[in-house]
Amino acid sequence: MAVTQSSTFRFSRHFTDVLSHGYILLMCVVFVMPFLAIFQYSLWKGATLSLDGILGNYQFVFGSFLTNLQNSLMVTVTAITISFLISLPAAYAIVRYTFPGKRLVLSFLSISLYVPAVTLGLGLILLYNFGHLFIGSIWSVVFAMVVGTYPLMLTPLIVALKDLPPSFEEAAYCLGASRWQVLTRIVLPLIGQGIAAGVLLSFIIVFNEYLVTLFVVGTIPSLQTAPLRIFGLIRTAGLLNTTAALAAAMQIVSFVVVIAFFRIVGTRYLKGTYLI
Amino acid sequence: MVKLMAERETTVTPFQIGEVVETGARAPALLKTRLPVLLLLAPALAVTLVFLVAPVLFLLFISFTAGRSFLQAVPTFTLTNYTSIFTDYLENLRVSLGLALLATLVNLVFGFPFAYILIRKVQYRDIVRAFMIFPMFGALYIAFGMRFLLLSNGMFGPLIKALNSIGIQIPIYGLHSVIFAMAIFTFPFMVMNIGAALSNIDPKLEEAAACLGAKRWQTFVRVLLPLAMPGILAGVLMCFGWNIGAFAEPVFLGGVAEQRAIAWTMYQRGIINFDFGLASAMGIVLMIIAFAVTYFSLRFSRGALAD
Repeated sequence: MAVTQSSTFRFSRHFTDVLSHGYILLMCVVFVMPFLAIFQYSLWKGATLSLDGILGNYQFVFGSFLTNLQNSLMVTVTAITISFLISLPAAYAIVRYTFPGKRLVLSFLSISLYVPAVTLGLGLILLYNFGHLFIGSIWSVVFAMVVGTYPLMLTPLIVALKDLPPSFEEAAYCLGASRWQVLTRIVLPLIGQGIAAGVLLSFIIVFNEYLVTLFVVGTIPSLQTAPLRIFGLIRTAGLLNTTAALAAAMQIVSFVVVIAFFRIVGTRYLKGTYLI
Repeated sequence: MVKLMAERETTVTPFQIGEVVETGARAPALLKTRLPVLLLLAPALAVTLVFLVAPVLFLLFISFTAGRSFLQAVPTFTLTNYTSIFTDYLENLRVSLGLALLATLVNLVFGFPFAYILIRKVQYRDIVRAFMIFPMFGALYIAFGMRFLLLSNGMFGPLIKALNSIGIQIPIYGLHSVIFAMAIFTFPFMVMNIGAALSNIDPKLEEAAACLGAKRWQTFVRVLLPLAMPGILAGVLMCFGWNIGAFAEPVFLGGVAEQRAIAWTMYQRGIINFDFGLASAMGIVLMIIAFAVTYFSLRFSRGALAD
């Protein structure tokens, strides 16, 4: 199999390689371009880079936008917790029990991912107002987020529970553990990675969500989350350095969380969820 | 079912053939296996029913009433909401579908080579994945960032000034910006789908084709494309489904034509003009389109994604 490669062949091989890597690099740059533009603008005051600008803008973020950031944080933490609390029993039922119509149930529980955000938002605000539910409360947003994102918690939990052999739980019962002990000392620790994957996916979506929130609390300034505030500001005030600082801060936090997750937990439970 | 039959056999003794024992034997067994399941599924089912099914059914109801009349004791029922979508607002629907189609096309053309290179040739996949996370944070940031990018004193300032000086003006608002932003947003989904399909294709097949004398494009058309087709279709349909509800991109980057995107029109008619009947009808139509597209995309992706 002694094939002498001509120099033209080698050149064209290298050329295609360079072109390929260059293409990947170009696309990667395109992906981060919007973020870098926002970040760059957040470092400016007006139209020029200034230290004054950097400190001033980010201070403004933690001053003026504090309510929005608090709302965002509260909604994210609460929505993820509630998602977990409703998904874990459902995942357990789906994995450990047999019952007719299991596939139908699973499809039904995943359907909210495929409903357009505008439809869900409009339906929820009309339902809330008509049913006098959660009027003027941040819980209107929380449950909107829960219903929209709990399938992202359900899927990794199902995968993680499938990986856990039932014999572990059965052995614990045999050794005299109570249901609560089995749950907290056997099941939860061993599906920890799945829980983390679900938390990550939900966090990315809920933290940066603005569309459903727009419909639900768009008219109540004190309940607005940070992305919604950004949306409103762009529409009313145009391109401000401070808005850019808020947007950049949100993206940086999201990115750090994702990278930390990839480093600490790994990507096993993200298979099939389009983040990997 | 086998368990139930076994229990029934043990309870029906020869002395009691005439007695009706089956129902008594069946009912507790049913409860025993079904009740825990129901209790476990109840929270998730309840949340879905209250916060997803109820709003959608409510929208369906309102879509058949006129304007705000659903608030009255006797609402005025009408089909004009739906008919007006396909007459007055047909242009809006057409704009949204057209934008989604164009963005998906761009994704396909640029995404396929990207996925191919990523799967076949590149070793540093993790770093690329890190870059691909950014678009997923939301179309809002992409649209926002694009406005900065195209400003003449922004990141590309010198480049834009240079292009201007030779007479090429790139307006900020317009079809190209909207399509570009929409394409960036759904690019990772296209790459994931095509990548999954391509990674299931044995590279030996391509090598075999080359050995048998096929040129590069022949290998592509006759080997790669047919084998990757399920993944390509799944990616196309998924990107299309995500893009028809595009909201931030048309608003921030669109000209007059793009601002007719149906999601934005829904917001204007519903929240700003309080024409709930029309907005609900638009919501239902959008949802039906999204469901249809997603249904077909899932049917194709079953073959492409090997979990």
